[in-house]
Amino acid sequence: MAKLILDKMAMQRALTRITYEIVEKNKGVSNLVLIGIKTRGIFLAKRIADRLRQLENVDVPVGTLDITNYRDDVEHDSLSTDVKIANSEINFSIEGKRVILVDDVLYTGRTVRAALSAVMDIGRPSSINLAVLVDRGHRELPIRADFVGKNIPSSQKEKIKVYVSEIDDKDAVEIIK
Amino acid sequence: MTDRYLILEDGSAYLGKAFGSLATTTGEIVVNSTMNGYQEIISNQIYHNQIIVFTQPSIGNTGLDHNSYESVLPSARGVIVREYENLAKDHYKRVSLDRYLTQHKIPGIYDVDTRQIQHHLHQFGNMKASIVDVADDHAFDQLHATVLTNQQVSQVATQAPYANPGEGDNVIVVDFGLKSGILRELSRRECNVTVVPWNYSSEQIMDLDPDGVILSTGPGNPLDLPDSVLKMILSIQSQVPVFAMGLGHELFAMANGAKVSKLKVEHHGSNHPIREIITNEIFFASQEQGYAVDSKSIDHSKLFITHIDLVNGTVQGLRHRENPAFSVQFSPDGAPGPHDSNGLFDDFMEMISRRRQNNGNRY
Repeated sequence: MAKLILDKMAMQRALTRITYEIVEKNKGVSNLVLIGIKTRGIFLAKRIADRLRQLENVDVPVGTLDITNYRDDVEHDSLSTDVKIANSEINFSIEGKRVILVDDVLYTGRTVRAALSAVMDIGRPSSINLAVLVDRGHRELPIRADFVGKNIPSSQKEKIKVYVSEIDDKDAVEIIK
Repeated sequence: MTDRYLILEDGSAYLGKAFGSLATTTGEIVVNSTMNGYQEIISNQIYHNQIIVFTQPSIGNTGLDHNSYESVLPSARGVIVREYENLAKDHYKRVSLDRYLTQHKIPGIYDVDTRQIQHHLHQFGNMKASIVDVADDHAFDQLHATVLTNQQVSQVATQAPYANPGEGDNVIVVDFGLKSGILRELSRRECNVTVVPWNYSSEQIMDLDPDGVILSTGPGNPLDLPDSVLKMILSIQSQVPVFAMGLGHELFAMANGAKVSKLKVEHHGSNHPIREIITNEIFFASQEQGYAVDSKSIDHSKLFITHIDLVNGTVQGLRHRENPAFSVQFSPDGAPGPHDSNGLFDDFMEMISRRRQNNGNRY
């Protein structure tokens, strides 16, 4: 049974608040880059970039990251960095930048751990922050988000599903029991 | 029905029929163009010392409802409408508009051309007016001689703090003449609320250990309030999340260096589209403003302009760049509607919970 947690408006407001908080924390948008974690994190990162453009009239670069080859349950030690990041698209230098990683749901923290390794393989940013639409708890690693749209306390038996209108038929967050 | 007159400072007079109280009153005349919610409008303290002209042609026809009062003791000075109905009472058949106005000594006049009054005020601006029995020289002399108080906030805001207990976040509401809708929204979110007088210092507020502070709506000119209020706001905004609305928004802007000026014609209605800049979304809200923040005076290194009115270009929302503090000119509690901007209260609650997590203290 699916229960609606965030509707379209609430989701938009959450992204708006995250955007303001990013500017607040970074005291502006200079040196900022956004990196969305595949799949839905990418669209959320683009929406945050759209908001930053509206607000500050600047284009903050948006990259996309495919962390498949960095997962801790996949054997990948033999692969070179170039191969591992082949499906990511980061067409800008992250050297000395403030990186904001964007994902839809923060759960065990393993995806973010993989993303951190990938980013570090690509370059050496001055800082990395994490923005997530939903934090559902149950971390297995010492990782926390800097910007959270909504905390949703959940049971591990439940599933959290994020829909984005770019690829799904709607904007919504549902909890499925 | 008894004949009565509405007389204006510039010498015009309108003959109509009386309803409500038969008191003789003087106030500033303003026009409200909202179609619904006469009960919320009349009971809103923002109309302290004001005579309200409704452009909605008929009011009174849905009685009064105990959920929709915006204050216990309304302080408007009069109600002017084209047509008045005393047919329907509230769901429990207790209170009609006529009885309510009589109880609170607010006179009403109906059967006047409210559109003509609206055109007149639009052309000549807001002015003093009286509701009188006879429109003779004496009445005009009295009207001209009446000086309206500029101490509106201290007239309607609470003099002593009071609690509105709940089991959730500890929210302090600084009362500049608040509308109940603010407390209603906080109750819905289970907040533990303490309402404090407008002249409380930041120390007095921080001693109550707030999770967040609301600066309420209220009547009158923000420039008539002492600078100590601005100092309080500056201090509070650097310590806890702040959400300001209406008069509170104007004060929040002034505390952060912006200028506020009086509008030639006050705007009371819900017909102006408002744009949220960050998303380009358009929405509507209940607006009641006699003053506006001057957008040119805003220091963009301190504040974002978050919302603008697309009809008159006025600043409708601000957000601090470095602190979790934001403000809106309109009434987000949606009493009366529209309810489009109700989510701003949720944003405020999220700000509170974020701050708690970041500080890693409590609970």
